[in-house]
Amino acid sequence: MANTGWDEFEIGAMLRTFNEPIENIAGTLQEDRPYSENSSFRASVADWRIEKPVFNKDYCIDCQFCWIYCPDVSIISRDKKMIGVDMDHCKGCGICVEVCPTNPKSLLMFEEKADEEQAIANWPTKEEKEK
Amino acid sequence: MSEMKKIKNLKEFSTSADRFEGANLLCPGCAHSIIVREVLNATNDDLVLSASTGCLEVCTAVYPYTSWDASWIHIGFENGSTAVAGAEAMYKALKRKGRLKQPDRNPKFISFAGDGASYDIGFQWISGCMERGHNMMHIVLDNEVYANTGGQRSSSTPIGASATTSPAGRVSYGEKKNKKDMVAIMAAHGIPYAAQVAPNKWKDMVKKIQHGMAVDGPVFINAVSPCTTEWKFDPKDTMMLADLATDSLVFPLYEIIDGHELNITYRPKNVIPVEEYLAAQGRFKHLFKDEYKHLIKEWQERVDANWEYLNRREEARV
Repeated sequence: MANTGWDEFEIGAMLRTFNEPIENIAGTLQEDRPYSENSSFRASVADWRIEKPVFNKDYCIDCQFCWIYCPDVSIISRDKKMIGVDMDHCKGCGICVEVCPTNPKSLLMFEEKADEEQAIANWPTKEEKEK
Repeated sequence: MSEMKKIKNLKEFSTSADRFEGANLLCPGCAHSIIVREVLNATNDDLVLSASTGCLEVCTAVYPYTSWDASWIHIGFENGSTAVAGAEAMYKALKRKGRLKQPDRNPKFISFAGDGASYDIGFQWISGCMERGHNMMHIVLDNEVYANTGGQRSSSTPIGASATTSPAGRVSYGEKKNKKDMVAIMAAHGIPYAAQVAPNKWKDMVKKIQHGMAVDGPVFINAVSPCTTEWKFDPKDTMMLADLATDSLVFPLYEIIDGHELNITYRPKNVIPVEEYLAAQGRFKHLFKDEYKHLIKEWQERVDANWEYLNRREEARV
């Protein structure tokens, strides 16, 4: 199916997201799902990014604002904890950084080529609020 | 399965397993997918979905990929709502005849469409679905323009916005007609529930979606969807734009029950001047030139009058 060209595609054909039936999709996390080749979960838009978000766990308060407002299902939250960014599906829009409420922010945008460890080492410190 | 999903706070909400996938081709910072995720995560029940032609449809079903983890169909520009209505009618008939394999599962029937497919092209079809009383929900992702085809004006485009078929320039300030009040039109069908929602107020959104799923009958939801490409703002500012839209009362959040009982569900603590909402978007840039400045005042007056109208209707309970 995945190798079929667009002109060989039958009219009214169906794309199946999963290779086998799932009884309860809403209760099955993404890592446990048998995605087929036709799910865009298997694709990547990583090359769209100019800047990437870097996550600094030390300042995160697990408010989950980034999870709810991520347009690309790229914030990975498990057991009510934010655990990282899905770099295959992140398009680098920067919404997660904008909605992050901590001071300093626990997510910041860096150049795509930037080294993550170095970015975390040089993280900005707390900003004093102007009175 | 059929009991309502409990969502007390955002932490609890974040344990949801998304049924919408990334690597779709929507623009970075598009509010469509934020709205879709909030809607789909509001329930654990099975879903029967459709999308009318528009950004959401072309970007989530690019051969050979699909971004949907549920039954999903696309037919034409106008008939996403009737496709779902047909599925719902079939479901009801099979249930009545006792031919459903799992009759205890309660699938939810939802059709998504843009404002072009709802306000203009699919208007008659949606009106039919609402009138026939199908047990379904129609959700409009209202970005006030035909964004998919290059930014032509729709009947949702507000006064003063520059669109490719109503461009602003020396002789024109852009779109000249005011936005259609779709929620009121749909509520006038006497449907059990019609509401306006915004992605930045996720709790309000989830509450309204769950209410809409619980009632028996057609439900109409109008969701504000700031469009980074056609409203011309930076992708990272999508949520800021949504905040400006709700807090300036350009998009007031309210619900209409049974076609007459209007409740305002969100009252901003600090109401922001409409000017700030307009200034944040490139499509209204020309309004700040001297010759078109009077339009900003008109905008504010119109928004104030609408807010006054909603308040009066809420008081009157008619």
